[in-house]
Amino acid sequence: MRALVIDDSRTMRRVVADILGGLGFDISQSGNGREALDRLESGETFDLACIDWNMPVMDGLEFVVAVRARREWRDMTLIMVTTEGELGQVVRALAAGAHEYVIKPFTPDALASKLALLGLLPVGQPT
Amino acid sequence: MSMVADVDTSQIVAIATEVFAAMIDRETGHLSEGSSVLMTLSDPLYAWVELSTVPASRVQLTTDVDTAGDLTHAFLSMDEAEPVVGADVMDAFGEIANVFGGSIKALLPEHVQLTLPQVSRRSPSGSAAVRLNEALLAWHGRLLVISLWTI
Repeated sequence: MRALVIDDSRTMRRVVADILGGLGFDISQSGNGREALDRLESGETFDLACIDWNMPVMDGLEFVVAVRARREWRDMTLIMVTTEGELGQVVRALAAGAHEYVIKPFTPDALASKLALLGLLPVGQPT
Repeated sequence: MSMVADVDTSQIVAIATEVFAAMIDRETGHLSEGSSVLMTLSDPLYAWVELSTVPASRVQLTTDVDTAGDLTHAFLSMDEAEPVVGADVMDAFGEIANVFGGSIKALLPEHVQLTLPQVSRRSPSGSAAVRLNEALLAWHGRLLVISLWTI
């Protein structure tokens, strides 16, 4: 399975990529929503995107809205991974089309649990 | 007075404990309150985010550059021998401040905006900034200061 990690912090990209890589995902990374959209528009496909909210150029919510507006990308699972922890923000993201929401700080197990709920853990991975 | 003024030291320590246990050390026990220990910063590095409270406020982390390097090592689960470059340290320390800022923001009764993190070897404190609260923490025995400001 292919995953795209979208975060302006290269630290967080590496942390999330290490977790997903350990779960068997093939990882790509983008530094903001615009870069990620460029990848999709160039024809790359992903099963999963883990998306930070607060990023320069294009934020995570704008990215979710843009992805959900395109029929050909509707099979991609979108998880917000963000410091935006208020209930109202969670509701906004889910209403925009995100499937799940992980609030920083989080543990690797917390992210794996969300993936398991979504049926996205590759076969053979513990939950 | 800013809503951030209502955040007390015990809440700052609780957030720090959660952040370090989840994302830095991946276990508890390496962070403690350091107020009773005589510690100073000799080569400080500052990381902060600002909140759109009224008046605006700042969540600031301060530690020594060497300690920030070790924090980066731990955050990224790097091998002992793997070198940490300055850009990694700036990014990692800024992200820790970002996570702290988000956790402080979540304590506030109203939605506010959080800026992207900034990191500098110069203190961001302007002449109008007023410190609201401060927690002195010891991470592996080394000083980490978390302070809340109105700006």
